[in-house]
Amino acid sequence: MEKKVLFVVYQAPVGSIWTNEAFRTAFGMYGEDIEPAVLLMESASASLSADTKPESLNLLPIKIVHRFIKRYETPVYGVKEHIEKYKVKNIDENFGAKIINERDLSDFFHSFDYVIYM
Amino acid sequence: MALVLIKYGFDNPAERIKLNTTKEEDSVVLIQNGVFWALKEEIEKKVKGKIYAIKEDFLARGYSEKDSHVKLIDYSSFMDIIEKEEKFIG
Amino acid sequence: MKITIQVMNPPYTYEDLDTAIKIADEALKRGHEVKIFLFCDSALASNKLVKPVRQDRNIPKTLKKMIAEKGLKVDICGICMDYRGVTKDMIIEGAVPSGVPELAELIYESDRFISLMA
Repeated sequence: MEKKVLFVVYQAPVGSIWTNEAFRTAFGMYGEDIEPAVLLMESASASLSADTKPESLNLLPIKIVHRFIKRYETPVYGVKEHIEKYKVKNIDENFGAKIINERDLSDFFHSFDYVIYM
Repeated sequence: MALVLIKYGFDNPAERIKLNTTKEEDSVVLIQNGVFWALKEEIEKKVKGKIYAIKEDFLARGYSEKDSHVKLIDYSSFMDIIEKEEKFIG
Repeated sequence: MKITIQVMNPPYTYEDLDTAIKIADEALKRGHEVKIFLFCDSALASNKLVKPVRQDRNIPKTLKKMIAEKGLKVDICGICMDYRGVTKDMIIEGAVPSGVPELAELIYESDRFISLMA
């Protein structure tokens, strides 16, 4: 039976590796009968901005994940209230992110077998 | 339903979300610095599901059993919860 | 039951390896099949050259003993080892360099998956 796994990032995409690691791990799931998804919340909401550029500090870019999101059609989620809190205006369409409300997170989390915070 | 594992204290935004999104059927376990939440009087009312704290993590941080507002458990009881709950959020 | 415990934080800086060892110990006592997956900085816990001060615990040695005597299994994310300069000849006996595909297999096959968030 298929397992559903959600990887949650809550730390900022610049200065920590967790956005990249969550996607790398999620993409690795496709070898098995696993349906992965990635949720970017709290300061990880900044990952969604088209203007966020870790590479400007010589850190690993986030953009490298876009091509795999497209290839695998990995579902990506953001949280409306957190995107507003962190004033993310220019959302990068390459994530194909679905925006959910914080009050819906309970049902959302419970629809997965494992919710793995990074 | 799910084992919800809380590892950090009040200063962590992810733990706030995790605690706010529990359901009645969940088992919530406070571990490591997550045990600080056991100091909050209203914690059992605010969090849905059964809530527990790892006793040795709580006592090691300078508190005594009577300071906790949730049930304190050892690793054996924690394993009972792990065996019971198929889903995991943490 | 097959139980996998994923760790991400570095040993000694945080309590995560100690927690994982306690969960593993309890599970092994009950006859469960237990694997600890060392991800990101926790890969450092597999380095047998780790030399703590005398009054502190030796985490790699504890893991090695549990592998040999209690049947614990330890997998280490290979890319995470490379990033931290941990080579195969440095790791404790019985631990196995692994990767995200193996993690996917573990997630799929395990009856219980526990992750200690970063």
